[in-house]
Amino acid sequence: MWIRRLLVAAATLALVSALVFLVVDALADRAALDLGRGASPEALAARRHLLGLDRPIVTRLFEHVASAMSFELGESARLGVPVVTLLRRAAGPTLAYALPGFLLATIVALLAGVAAARRRGLVDRVLLVVSTLLMSCSSVIVVVLGQYLLAHRMRWFPVLGWPLAGDPRPLLGFVLLPALLWALIQLGPDLRHYRAIFVRELAAPHVEGLRARGLGERRVVLRVLRGAAAPVLARVSARLPQLVLGSVVVEHVFNIPGLGALLVAAVRDADLAVVQGVAFCLAAATIAGQALCDLAVYLLDPRTRAPAEAGR
Amino acid sequence: MRQVEGWRRPLGLAGVVALAGLGVFAVLALGAALGLWAAGFEGAVAREHLSPGPGAWLGTDALGRDLLARTIQGARVSLAVGGGAALGLVAIGGVLGAFAGLRGGWIDRLLAGLCDALAAIPPVVTLLGAALLLRPGLATAIAAIALTQWHGVFRSVRAEAQRMRSADHDRAARAMGAGTWHRIRWHLLPRLRPLLVTSLVLCFVYAVKVEAVLAYFGASAQTLPSWGRLLAETGSELARGIWWPTAAASVPLALLVLCAQVLADRLGEGEPRG
Repeated sequence: MWIRRLLVAAATLALVSALVFLVVDALADRAALDLGRGASPEALAARRHLLGLDRPIVTRLFEHVASAMSFELGESARLGVPVVTLLRRAAGPTLAYALPGFLLATIVALLAGVAAARRRGLVDRVLLVVSTLLMSCSSVIVVVLGQYLLAHRMRWFPVLGWPLAGDPRPLLGFVLLPALLWALIQLGPDLRHYRAIFVRELAAPHVEGLRARGLGERRVVLRVLRGAAAPVLARVSARLPQLVLGSVVVEHVFNIPGLGALLVAAVRDADLAVVQGVAFCLAAATIAGQALCDLAVYLLDPRTRAPAEAGR
Repeated sequence: MRQVEGWRRPLGLAGVVALAGLGVFAVLALGAALGLWAAGFEGAVAREHLSPGPGAWLGTDALGRDLLARTIQGARVSLAVGGGAALGLVAIGGVLGAFAGLRGGWIDRLLAGLCDALAAIPPVVTLLGAALLLRPGLATAIAAIALTQWHGVFRSVRAEAQRMRSADHDRAARAMGAGTWHRIRWHLLPRLRPLLVTSLVLCFVYAVKVEAVLAYFGASAQTLPSWGRLLAETGSELARGIWWPTAAASVPLALLVLCAQVLADRLGEGEPRG
């Protein structure tokens, strides 16, 4: 079963790279992008030959997918650096704020979701209004206003910036506000989603059974939390594409040299190899993360194991 | 039958207010598109950074342009991208999902694989990449959202279609030789209507928010002012005490999303959500 899951993941990733290649090849002329608008037809043809663009598309497709699957993503046209190096350099700063932000949002949303589902009343109403308001604010608004209020006005955090190598200032101060805002952006929809999950789980007959046997509320909630592992992890794995990229807006406003900033710069410079590389690597990270979530559900929830052992 | 009843249920006060709010936005945008008002959004009307007051009700921006006119013109962009992309998303995801769910077999597997592959790439990468490959603009934003973000609708429609395949009435229809299109039109569509209406509004919310981010990076409408671009231009002026351009962009953006969100909640209440 696990071999099958891995094969599906690899096939999906190959499909991603083929899709990206075909779309880019159909819509963009690499030679024209490299040489600029005023290039002569002869120069364009020579450039195409140099890049190997005059070979049949099927050959190039297979070559591209094969090299992408071994993570050879080519070189950045503007910087002359391998794309993999750029990605590795940018992944650190993104994870430094995106991962804490994601964990914070998930934990707060889970706790608030349980609270709202258990006390259907004022708490539930207030949390619903808060989450709806948070959802209505576009991430741009949250980031711009958050930076203004918390950094400019209150002066609790540095306004922007990122310590480069050799900078004595601690990283923590620069990470806190981006992580907080990133958590705030995700909190609204997550809260509602988890509330819906826990309302459903708490209404399940076995919860009544646990209570009838005299189990304390605290332990009932713990059981419910474990029972809800599958839908919660499904939500996490649906969130993964956003987690691995972080927020382009946060990185832009706070000047963080992460993946989002890399992407925005590559789009501005028309650096196709980097854009393709970002798309492919983030898809790879997402697909790997989804496989891990499946594994975690398999380990946490015995219900998913039973039919597999009996049937397949 | 439960879903049909849900469809008929009145929207409630909050839903009606939200619908009216959306209507106001639509009227403002339509009038701006027809040139009835907010026509003078390009030229300077007063000195730069004039604070709100008579003459320029929302003040002026860094070039002395009237912010009220620019904000109203911004509604055009948000509504066009939101509405167009939502219709496209629901149409593409709905048709493909219905087809995959009803046909099954290799078509189903291929489409589901395609859907997984598309869903694995973060939306911002796809959409900014599309703005690079095509020319950035309103049509590009609509097309890029509609063509790449249909996986959510696809999945829920496909699940519903698979459920219908095992229902008796569908088996009877198939036994009588009904084609896939007939089954979609006469059996699946009525069953899906509440789901489709709700996801239409939710896709609208999603598209409006995505458009704001795209516009922030200059990858949306190029000639018309849009709220996302207004925020990008003016976000840094907040620290100098010039708050009105940011307010003029963020308040309508948040209100529009809020109205649509409340409407979607009222429409989708009581339905199982996945």
